[in-house]
Amino acid sequence: MPNAGEFRSNVATWWGLLFAIVALGCNGAFFLNLPFQGAIAWLSLLLAIVALTLLAMGLRLAIVYPKIYRRRALTVLVTTIAMIPAGLSVLGFVATRKLPSATAAPQVGQKVPDFTLADTSGKPVSLDQLLSASSAVSPPGELSFESRPPKAVLLIFYRGYW
Amino acid sequence: MEKRLAEFEAAGVRPVAISVDAPDVSRNLANKSGYTFPILSDPDATVIRRYHILHTAGAPDEHDIARPAEFLVDSSKIVRWCNFTEDIRVRARADEMLAAAQQLR
Repeated sequence: MPNAGEFRSNVATWWGLLFAIVALGCNGAFFLNLPFQGAIAWLSLLLAIVALTLLAMGLRLAIVYPKIYRRRALTVLVTTIAMIPAGLSVLGFVATRKLPSATAAPQVGQKVPDFTLADTSGKPVSLDQLLSASSAVSPPGELSFESRPPKAVLLIFYRGYW
Repeated sequence: MEKRLAEFEAAGVRPVAISVDAPDVSRNLANKSGYTFPILSDPDATVIRRYHILHTAGAPDEHDIARPAEFLVDSSKIVRWCNFTEDIRVRARADEMLAAAQQLR
């Protein structure tokens, strides 16, 4: 137990701020196209939890031992600021996982439904056409026809709204 | 995706992107990003529903959109590989899709 006359810097609070910033910064890593992106998501959450724990510890110390951790106002300020990246990391984790289940979607071994949809020039394109036309240089987003049909198509459904 | 397009073609696989975006929105995206593979529009999410990958009110303006999903479909229209991310930040990497494509020999 430190003496009443000693002054201590609230290390837990500063480390909490650092962890909170790193937790939020992890989101930048998703743009680096690294493997194991799923792990990055969980790492971000873990860092945010560590940050919140440290911030809570620091705040408690400042309140319970005000004579030792004298800069209580600074502790509260830094804690409040750190809550922003920490909170965003946690909320972000929750929000980006609010996806419907895909258990009813076609799975490996199942047949996919047919479709006919417009390409970027408004021309209708069917699944049959995609499977029977070959890849070739075409105007952006359109289908063009040449010699060999593909072995398979890779349907990439994306959210849109870019 | 566009950078690896030659590899997909070598593996005999054609990528096709589908979303609720209108054709002119997709054309802007294709022009800006230099995409040369087909990009299709499903504005009412009809096909998205047919594939059971609807994300009700998932758009910023509450419109119905697709949840992210990839299907590698062979010439008999059978799914040979599929991917449904649990987190919209975690996207299927070209490497994973190429590996699945190359196993189609």
